[in-house]
Amino acid sequence: MNPFKSIWNFLYISFHRLGSPREFYTISAYATPVFGLLFLGLSTYGAYLGLFVAPADYQQGDSFRIIYVHVPAAWLSLFIYVVMACASAIGLIWRMKMAFVVALCSAPIGAAFTFLALATGSLWGAPIWGTWWEWDARLTSELILLFLYSGVMALYYAFDDRRTAERATAMLAVVGVVIVPIIHYSVEWWSSLHQGATVFREGGPAMPANMLTPLLLMALGFTFFYGYCLFHRARNMVLHNERNSSWVREMINELE
Amino acid sequence: MLFRNTATLVQPLCFFVLIALLFPLSLPAENALLQRIGGGVIWVAAVLATLLSLESMFKPDHRDGVLEQLIISPRSLTTAVLAKSLAHWSATGLVLTLFSPLLSFAFRIPAEQAWVLFISLLIGTPSLTLIGAIGAALTVTLHRGGVLLAIIILPLYIPILIFGAGMVGQSTQGAAIDSQVYALLAIGVLATTLSPFAIAASLRLTID
Repeated sequence: MNPFKSIWNFLYISFHRLGSPREFYTISAYATPVFGLLFLGLSTYGAYLGLFVAPADYQQGDSFRIIYVHVPAAWLSLFIYVVMACASAIGLIWRMKMAFVVALCSAPIGAAFTFLALATGSLWGAPIWGTWWEWDARLTSELILLFLYSGVMALYYAFDDRRTAERATAMLAVVGVVIVPIIHYSVEWWSSLHQGATVFREGGPAMPANMLTPLLLMALGFTFFYGYCLFHRARNMVLHNERNSSWVREMINELE
Repeated sequence: MLFRNTATLVQPLCFFVLIALLFPLSLPAENALLQRIGGGVIWVAAVLATLLSLESMFKPDHRDGVLEQLIISPRSLTTAVLAKSLAHWSATGLVLTLFSPLLSFAFRIPAEQAWVLFISLLIGTPSLTLIGAIGAALTVTLHRGGVLLAIIILPLYIPILIFGAGMVGQSTQGAAIDSQVYALLAIGVLATTLSPFAIAASLRLTID
């Protein structure tokens, strides 16, 4: 049998299984602790390498080490928005319940990471740039992203009817995705105080390996942390949304 | 429709002028300062006035059932909302633009920059209306959509505001304004071609 075909079939089936709230609830019960452990392992090792093993920067000294929180948070602030927009689009096109749950549960996590990126950025900027805040393209567009997340959340809670709320919010998330490339390229398009792309650029990363490895480990660890939070929130939301369905009632009866 | 109802035509305009006039009253009345901030202030006032007018875009039609008729009619809803947005713009954005030279005069902005401001508003305000209409369509069924509309739409307005006000700022310093003009026009083209689909989809989502 063609291996690609069987992999595709496996993905296709698991996609559909995850699309059902009940199946999602069962599968995520196993996936959540795995994500949590991966996050703990990767970020502990990454933090150890970053704080103790990596050499101090020759210009910025030890203060550059905040990069190990700042860059993963900033990366996730954009990544989560893209996930949210894709899930919203999937939800709108294929009318999939779980896609809306993923999109809505991502919004508060994304907002938290955006805030973290802004906060660590200003802590980093204070000793290096000599200012906490500057009205600069990268910083301002990241702030817009924070407001975009809060708009998405505010719109969801404004509706009485959950179905309408889900779809209207998804629409807003899809429209707002135009901001993401603006943030990513703001450093290149406008002369900015913020440094240019250091990791994802043509010709490979402009960073020595012993500084880069912990950064990548931390970014990967933070991404698993996002998955961990997302699963937790999504499980709660699924239970809440499906509280009238038979499988949730059976589960509650078993508990009692 | 909008022209028939004088209040909806005059209110955003009064709001626009009043917001702009609050600045000379609250800041030290130095001509040099007013001249320098004038372009930005007038742009902010235009953004806020457009935002205020958006609520009246779909709400009356939703109340008397015209919107439902448009949705179920065999004609394209996308074309209908594009026409509606352009009509709305001609009663708000265009009127604000036509009034901007008067405000420029009040801010002692020299004729050359007043002209740049006029052009920037002329090519920027259609995008404001079209993008704002998406928010208006999403919140049309809500009773108190006003503040929410501002929260969801203002972040999307910021790029337009930056380019529009930046265009006036650049010309004050005597620098070339080509890049801002191109950026505003690009946003305008994208808003005109894409947002009617988003508006129509939003209306279908929220009303059913």
